[in-house]
Amino acid sequence: METLALYVPRLLEKKENFAPGHRACSGCGEALAVRMVMKALGKNVIVVMATGCMEIISTQLPYTSWEVPWIHTLFENTAAVASGVVAGREALTRKGKASSRTKVVAMAGDGATADIGVQALSGALERGHDFTYICFDNEAYMNTGIQRSSATPFGAATTTQPVGKISMGQNTWKKDMPAIAVAHNIPYVATASPSYPFDLMNKVKKARDIEGPAYLHILSVCPTGWRTPSDLSVRIGRLAVETGVFPLYEVENGKYTLNIDPPQLRSVEDYLKLQGRFKHLTPEMIKEIQEKVEAKYAELVEKVLFYDGF
Amino acid sequence: MSKLTEIRWHGRGGQGAVTSAEVMGLSAIEEGKFAQAFPSFGPERRGAPVLAFNRISDSEHIRMRSAVTQPDIVVVLDPGLLGIIDVTRGLKEGGVLIINSSKSLLDIKSEFEGPWTLAVVDATAIAMEVLKIPIVNTAMLGAMVKVTGVVKLESLAEPLGERFGKLAEKNIAACRRAYDEVSIAAQGAVSQRPEKTFGEVTWPSWQELLPGGVVTDAGNARSYRTGDWRSDRPIWDHDRCIKCGVCMLFCPEGCVEQNEQGYFEANYYYCKGCGICARECWTQAITMVEEAKA
Ligand SMILES: Cc1ncc(C[n+]2csc(CCOP(=O)(O)OP(=O)(O)O)c2C)c(N)n1
Ligand code: SF4
Repeated sequence: METLALYVPRLLEKKENFAPGHRACSGCGEALAVRMVMKALGKNVIVVMATGCMEIISTQLPYTSWEVPWIHTLFENTAAVASGVVAGREALTRKGKASSRTKVVAMAGDGATADIGVQALSGALERGHDFTYICFDNEAYMNTGIQRSSATPFGAATTTQPVGKISMGQNTWKKDMPAIAVAHNIPYVATASPSYPFDLMNKVKKARDIEGPAYLHILSVCPTGWRTPSDLSVRIGRLAVETGVFPLYEVENGKYTLNIDPPQLRSVEDYLKLQGRFKHLTPEMIKEIQEKVEAKYAELVEKVLFYDGF
Repeated sequence: MSKLTEIRWHGRGGQGAVTSAEVMGLSAIEEGKFAQAFPSFGPERRGAPVLAFNRISDSEHIRMRSAVTQPDIVVVLDPGLLGIIDVTRGLKEGGVLIINSSKSLLDIKSEFEGPWTLAVVDATAIAMEVLKIPIVNTAMLGAMVKVTGVVKLESLAEPLGERFGKLAEKNIAACRRAYDEVSIAAQGAVSQRPEKTFGEVTWPSWQELLPGGVVTDAGNARSYRTGDWRSDRPIWDHDRCIKCGVCMLFCPEGCVEQNEQGYFEANYYYCKGCGICARECWTQAITMVEEAKA
């Protein structure tokens, strides 16, 4: 586990660039992640945000929680709009009216990233714009009431893959979005979790400062959609890492590093049993998930070791 | 002319006010009446005050589709709402106000007496005893049917059965107990509405908005109160606190602040009472205390 430095206040940026008064559910892990991201980013950024929970809860006219320039986009064009903002910034920089120190950060949910906006994202990563894209992955379309996305994990009950005689929840495995980002040969890809705040904030700063596209994938516990008590959001995020379900790693110019590497992975059951969306799982399904998690984790470790060899 | 009854339910997101309205509507249809049941939509999430509505007509189609603003019956599921929302707003003279509270009818009367019938039931206690969880919507249905007679108690059974499946029996029991236990005060002699003022938000008209809905006042959500979503509040024990600030780190609202002595406290204007701080505190210096008792 990340050793939480004692005396957080001395290490933590005081300023809240994501202001309270937002209307996220009580205990929302996604709002917590956005808050930490905004602490790390500082004030010199332009945020481009897809529709989804975080947009809805932070910008109810006439209110806004954003302390920085913020623009709302459609579902499918977040990365395209961010590309345009970057191009605009560069044109103005040439005229001496702006500075490339102003960073552009796109933010979107898992539905907006892995399904609907994936084409625009792929284009922007491949063209190599200097921007950061952050996916807040709460593993379903939460804003509209828990519909499955391609990032919903196997077995999870959603309103479109419910549990009953015919369906036992999501019947496909979670799409590996970070791997898709890595496949674009971009300088920086990382996974993060608000349960490991300093790791998360360091990665945000790294992504912000790197020239070229950076992709960050943040697992965000959603008590409403995951059917979990609101006080467990941070604990469940930690369990996702400790069980290997959501490993925290970075890929810098193709080089893999595992940031949190528990000496022994906990059983996935510890993670699954706390969540209402998994309560119907049979022992066989849990075994299947355990095997899949171990195999994926081993694959990751292999990549890390491969680069350690150099 | 046919009689139209309009009902407004006050609850919090996740408490089942919408289900109450649905079951009420279905029971009326069961009796051959016409009915509507619908929630009021907003961006508010779990814990936030929400409204649900019914229209019930004896014998005629209901053409109206708007929110109910002048209800005949108001039902309050959460006593915590009484201090923050004007639950009697628009309630018709001669109407009915039903409140879930552990207070006695006499106490409630001193605050909410008006030109309407007032009724009180301790639905939370009933729910805790019968269902073992503080979900009061089915108990409140029982109380409401007793006081108003909009539908018969028996008519609730089928919709409740369909809605709750395995848990139907217990919910029907909770319903029945509230039916028996609700205390009712006859219509108040006072014809005046109680004088209560609540913070009112004024909205800009559309003509005052900038093109594209641009908001120029960065971070102005700070003036928006989310603290009234809370049902439990975190309380810090300074003897145990080591001033590490983990509570501040993990607060999704960003509303935990350090005071001059170096201790931490939540800004209750925003705190939604999620309980993450209490769960994460290393020394267990934070306890969550029920709002009504804090
Ligand atoms: C093209 C399009 N389809 C559907 C919608 C409706 N919609 C708004 S938000 C949302 C869900 C967003 O889910 P996700 O991106 O996973 O973010 P989350 O709300 O879970 O944070 C949907 C379906 C829309 N705005 N645009
Ligand atoms: S539905 Fe989930 S992600 Fe959306 S605001 Fe609520 S807790 Fe957060």
